[in-house]
Amino acid sequence: MTTTTARTTTIFRRPRSETGFWSWITTVDHKKIGIMYGYTAFIFFVIGGVEALLLRIHLASAESTFLTAADYNGLFTTHAVTMIFLVVMPMSAAFMNYLLPLMIGARDVAFPRLNALSYWVFLFGGIFLYSGLIFSSVVPPLGVTPGVTGNLDPSDARSFFGLPDGGWFMYQPNAGPAFSPGRALDFAVLGLQILGIASLLSSVNFIVTFFNLRAKGMRLLRVPVFIWMTLVVAFLLLFSLPIIAIALFMVIFDRQFGTLFFDATAGGDPILWQHLFWLFGHPEVYILILPAMGIVSEIIPVFSRKPLFGYAAVVFAGAGIAFLGFGVWAHHMFASGISTVAQVGFGLTTVAIAIPTGVKIFNWMATLWLGRIRLATPMLFALGFLTMFTIGGLSGVTHAVVPSDWQQHDTYYIVAHFHYVLFGGSILGIFGGLYYWFPKFSGRMLDERLGKIHFWLWMLGFNMTFAPMHWLGLQGMIRRTWRYDPSLEFWNRIVSVGAFIIALGLLVFMWNFYRSKRRGPLAGMDPWDARTLEWSIPNPTPVFNFAEVPVVHGLDEFWHQKYGEDKDGRPVRKDDADSTLTRLQEIGTNPPNPVHLPSPSYFPILMAAGLPLIAYGIIFHLSLFGKALIVVGALLSLAALIGWGSEPLEEAHMEPAHA
Amino acid sequence: MTDEHHLSHPSPAQYVKIAVGLAVLTAIEVALFYINNALGLGWINTAALLTLAFFKFFVVVGWYMHIRYEKAAVSRFFIFGFVLAFSLYGVVLIGLGVLAATR
Amino acid sequence: MTAASHEVSEHHDEHESTGVENRKLAMWAFLSSEFLFFGALITNYLLYSSRTFEQGPTPAEIYDIPFTSVSSFVLLMSSLTMVLAHNALSRGDQGATRTWLLATAMLGSVFLAGQVFEFTEFITVQGMTMQTNPAASAFFVLTGFHGTHVAIGVIMLLSLFGLSKRMGGLTDKRFLNLELVGLYWHFVDIIWIVIFTVVYLLTAVPGAGG
Repeated sequence: MTTTTARTTTIFRRPRSETGFWSWITTVDHKKIGIMYGYTAFIFFVIGGVEALLLRIHLASAESTFLTAADYNGLFTTHAVTMIFLVVMPMSAAFMNYLLPLMIGARDVAFPRLNALSYWVFLFGGIFLYSGLIFSSVVPPLGVTPGVTGNLDPSDARSFFGLPDGGWFMYQPNAGPAFSPGRALDFAVLGLQILGIASLLSSVNFIVTFFNLRAKGMRLLRVPVFIWMTLVVAFLLLFSLPIIAIALFMVIFDRQFGTLFFDATAGGDPILWQHLFWLFGHPEVYILILPAMGIVSEIIPVFSRKPLFGYAAVVFAGAGIAFLGFGVWAHHMFASGISTVAQVGFGLTTVAIAIPTGVKIFNWMATLWLGRIRLATPMLFALGFLTMFTIGGLSGVTHAVVPSDWQQHDTYYIVAHFHYVLFGGSILGIFGGLYYWFPKFSGRMLDERLGKIHFWLWMLGFNMTFAPMHWLGLQGMIRRTWRYDPSLEFWNRIVSVGAFIIALGLLVFMWNFYRSKRRGPLAGMDPWDARTLEWSIPNPTPVFNFAEVPVVHGLDEFWHQKYGEDKDGRPVRKDDADSTLTRLQEIGTNPPNPVHLPSPSYFPILMAAGLPLIAYGIIFHLSLFGKALIVVGALLSLAALIGWGSEPLEEAHMEPAHA
Repeated sequence: MTDEHHLSHPSPAQYVKIAVGLAVLTAIEVALFYINNALGLGWINTAALLTLAFFKFFVVVGWYMHIRYEKAAVSRFFIFGFVLAFSLYGVVLIGLGVLAATR
Repeated sequence: MTAASHEVSEHHDEHESTGVENRKLAMWAFLSSEFLFFGALITNYLLYSSRTFEQGPTPAEIYDIPFTSVSSFVLLMSSLTMVLAHNALSRGDQGATRTWLLATAMLGSVFLAGQVFEFTEFITVQGMTMQTNPAASAFFVLTGFHGTHVAIGVIMLLSLFGLSKRMGGLTDKRFLNLELVGLYWHFVDIIWIVIFTVVYLLTAVPGAGG
């Protein structure tokens, strides 16, 4: 292979920066991509949080006029879409990207450039979704004339934000062309479509990485639980995203090209939408929670100084949840008139899915049992997850009982339930992971005192916010309405105060993060006395990950390098443990052999940039401008694809370093 | 190595034979369609057509896509996707009352 | 599970791996998810073809079975030419590979042309557009997405053909490229096998075949 072939086939000069702005734009390093996922998702977390606060300010009194009805609908829709697709999923993707190669002893994922493409597609999808704020319009629905008796007051129908207002579930035909005219929902639908592409690419990438790139000796049942959950989530995405892709295509065709899939007046079937949506939507729920379960399964053993109790059971339970997760979708539809047989069937599968979940919870508790527990901040968040998620899981089981579900359907009881599993579960798990792996990517420690303040503020605020929703719901407070009965005002005030305490906790975290990133104490090697491979290399992670590709001899490989056992099976720190760490630090920063890494590339971001252009084009397809945008977007992506195809993955060792 | 490598890929002549077989099956399908039009075979027609289609499907997957000669990981993947799609959408169609409808 | 066991597996030299090439495994994973994609489209069609609508005609009333049988046959045979291209390349016969690749792309184009003809016929002669009724919407979107897949396949085949004379031909690393395009192509064909039987033959109203 000569240098000339490499030169003639590239369109641009290969990007070279290793630091600064361009190094992030062109990076294909899974660590940088993971960090970008994290920061982007965090910004969206703040946006989604502000939306929640606006909703709670409005709901603090029963007859509030803080928001108009249209804006209320828009805010609860974007709050949900943001938190699900732009916060929890990409936050999980941040951990997966950063940790998957590190925990299986690999230099990168199987397809580094595809990985970069996933991130850029995600970012552009998110920006596209929110660009509706500028370009969208909200028009009163068909048959609604503001001011006419029985319809909305004109002032209530007015929208300041112009956000999509059909709910994240976008039930048809309500979110169809007749009842949600205007462009707002098109931005949501096409934005989700773009985000879906990002997730699908990641899922294929992670699956191949898992199956093909594990280090020598890393057999299937030696893989850390978080990585197993990554695989399970990748499979869930792989098989559920095509379903929502089709459903969203149908909506877009209905809204833009006049098809009649969900037009009830022409014979379209609204229940078809519910089936397709929840066929995706329920696996999606597990896509949101399983990564947090994986994170907690990593944290609890480290801070209990015991191996995870029933490792294989936890792994198989995760896979079992995913598998059963495909068979419970109609429990979202008990009130939609599905047959009795279907209600009984889906009620039973819903009860059944509590079994593997329970297995996990008991395994975590058994890991804690007789452990030498250190209540560091990551552990606090893991324990918070354990307790709060269990409450949310138990209220979830009550939905499996069909008559009870009819009573709870569309009330705040449901809102309480899914916030206990999504905030109390996913978000607490993710923040536990942030505290735990912060030294890994920054090389410094987060402040423990501020971390604990953050945790307790969240525990207090979270329970004040979401616990009263249980009884508010059972007293008949309906979801998705901007008005409620004045008798419910007291608890709604408590809820609103709780929401602001959560926000305060987040501010504490942000301050902690900002300060510790610059001036936190250096972490050194192995700050938590951890068990898995990612801690066997220096902090922050060197660009090449492993100076020497590790060989794995068992589960919790790194722990066994430091600890042996006494005759009662208790762990005893080996005499040479400290010298082992010093040696690892020494080798880890100075690779004995030159390491070849995939070269950075412009093409992932260019290819991703074509997608939102196409989406804008579809929305404005009636105009010449729109049609031109579709062509330009497609050509941009195609050109980037050709450039991508003609540039080799690794170039570093073919061309001499920049002189 | 492992036993899946005992099988060698078909020769061009065998590929052509398979294609002839697929063409004949398609012809039978079309013929069945017209016979059914004339005689009204009911469920027998449905069952026969589905069987023929599945047979063609598996011949293409097995021989042309070489899944018979691949590692088990690949075929498990593929079969899982197929079975999952088949069962999920089957339940949806039953739930929407389609498979109960007479046709 | 506690103490480190030293029985490192001897079967693989560098990695614990499936032994299937990365890109090939990715292609199989992608194709298996495509089952869910087309499954949803076929489900839509089956649902709406079982309903009646005020506004007609429905696709099932106006299918041209003889015509579709011929185009299905064309697509089926393109799988043969594809596998022959694969076979020729595995024997190192570059000339034959190019011929078979081009033949496959041409058969695919013929199929696409047939689809364009069918759509035009339905829209202009029979008066069925995708705005006519939900069954028509489902039909056009399903066959349209399949046609898009075929078109992408044709583009990939032509790219392979175009590349086959540059940069050292199709040998070595590029063998996998052809294999991946082949997998995709056969997949598009098996989806059509299902569509032809389930969507056309099984739902066509008796007499529609002319």
